[in-house]
Amino acid sequence: MIMPAGTPLLLPANPRFMALTLLLALLLNMTLGLTGWHWMPDVLAIVLVFWTVHQPRRVGVVLAFLLGLALDVHESALLGQNALSYVALSTMAMAVQRRLLWFPLSEQALQIVPMFVFAALLEWLTRLLVQDAWPHWSQLFAPLLQAALWPLVGALLLAPQRRAFDPDNIRPL
Amino acid sequence: MALDNTLERSAPPIFRKGLSATTKLVLLTLMSIVLMASDHRFKISLPIRASIATLLAPLQWLSLQPANAFSALGQYFDSLEQAQDAARQFQTRTIAQAQRLQQVEQLAQENAQLRELLDLRKQIHGPASAVEVLYDTSDPYSDRIVVDRGQLAGIVQGSAVINLAGVVGQVTRVYPLVSEVTLITDRNQSIPVMNARTGSRHVANGEPYLQGGALELRFVPSGTDVKQGDLLTTSGIDGVYPAGLHVAWVSQIDRRVDSSFARVQATAAAKPRGRHLLVLTPVKDWPAAPVPPAEPKHLGKGRTLAPLATGGKP
Repeated sequence: MIMPAGTPLLLPANPRFMALTLLLALLLNMTLGLTGWHWMPDVLAIVLVFWTVHQPRRVGVVLAFLLGLALDVHESALLGQNALSYVALSTMAMAVQRRLLWFPLSEQALQIVPMFVFAALLEWLTRLLVQDAWPHWSQLFAPLLQAALWPLVGALLLAPQRRAFDPDNIRPL
Repeated sequence: MALDNTLERSAPPIFRKGLSATTKLVLLTLMSIVLMASDHRFKISLPIRASIATLLAPLQWLSLQPANAFSALGQYFDSLEQAQDAARQFQTRTIAQAQRLQQVEQLAQENAQLRELLDLRKQIHGPASAVEVLYDTSDPYSDRIVVDRGQLAGIVQGSAVINLAGVVGQVTRVYPLVSEVTLITDRNQSIPVMNARTGSRHVANGEPYLQGGALELRFVPSGTDVKQGDLLTTSGIDGVYPAGLHVAWVSQIDRRVDSSFARVQATAAAKPRGRHLLVLTPVKDWPAAPVPPAEPKHLGKGRTLAPLATGGKP
């Protein structure tokens, strides 16, 4: 197994934990959407990209599509608008997955920015073509905030996998 | 899985690969484009939407709980004085409306008699049901809200939605448990209005780019008598909105020399929307479609033409 030097070996990811975090991210996204601020980061997109990068065999394009559809219905947006941007996001995450894991989380965030920006652009373009609707200027901040949140979300989601392989009395967790 | 630095216990499958990433991307992209087209152009995606909405309902309920808890906490710590103030305010408002209400009774009777005298059609009001706003949708390109009653509570698509101050919007999608209301300030929403002062009729469209959401009257000839502060009410010719509901106040008129139309902007009357709304089910009191008379069989040409000629369109 080729690995960057000095990185600890992680425990396998728990599928239940992955499902729970995705569900929580969807809930958090819905709750944050109630504020009505357009610059709110899309938490679901961050978690989705994170799991696509770390567990590409379990979280893939189909799940991204389904979650996008759920968001479309919740936001009463055009059916398929979020789904399309999530599918694009997930495919890009798959493509950069092997390279991304060589970098620490903070440097990953920089490489993630273009992906989030592209997904947002795709969404704006869809609405521009379909309804001739221009985006609100404050929406510009959302992809940047998502990338800024990447290290934090990543550290949180990786924490269960960083526990000791053989917990003992000195290191119970 | 070469580089995923985890203690993975299961090896990746060698033979069972499934579809390639490119195939999946192309398929799902096509699928979302087809869905968008069916949603926007053909309006046939409602069953898909309704089933997803029903699955999503518990999650939506859960996601609303923090906001609900917060407002409940706020209400709990509201002082007694504020509650008494609110009660007093409502009482004075009710008293102020009492006189008008009593007059309305008499006027409605008078109006009914006059209409009968003139042989006009009767005005019928449909059933109304009170709903509560669940949330504003977060889609930045549309102006919609979701309310807590749906198909099961008898909400009908196309119903008008009002509050204390006037028309709020129209029910555009009905799911089993909730329904979506498009506000009159949405860019795709239009409402037939009448200037209450002059009686001229217009169509008002939503104009979300204006400050705070407003309405714009389309195709108003520049010579039309319209003034700032005019009240626009529903004209009732559409059969959806009952006549006489407040819609908006004219806020700005821009008459240009080079254009034969004036730009008229209005602010919605029901601006502070509040939590509780009323859904008015439209009454279809249109005359029934004429039934073609049963054609008698085995008759000559000349005889079949005769009843057709007399029984034309009403």
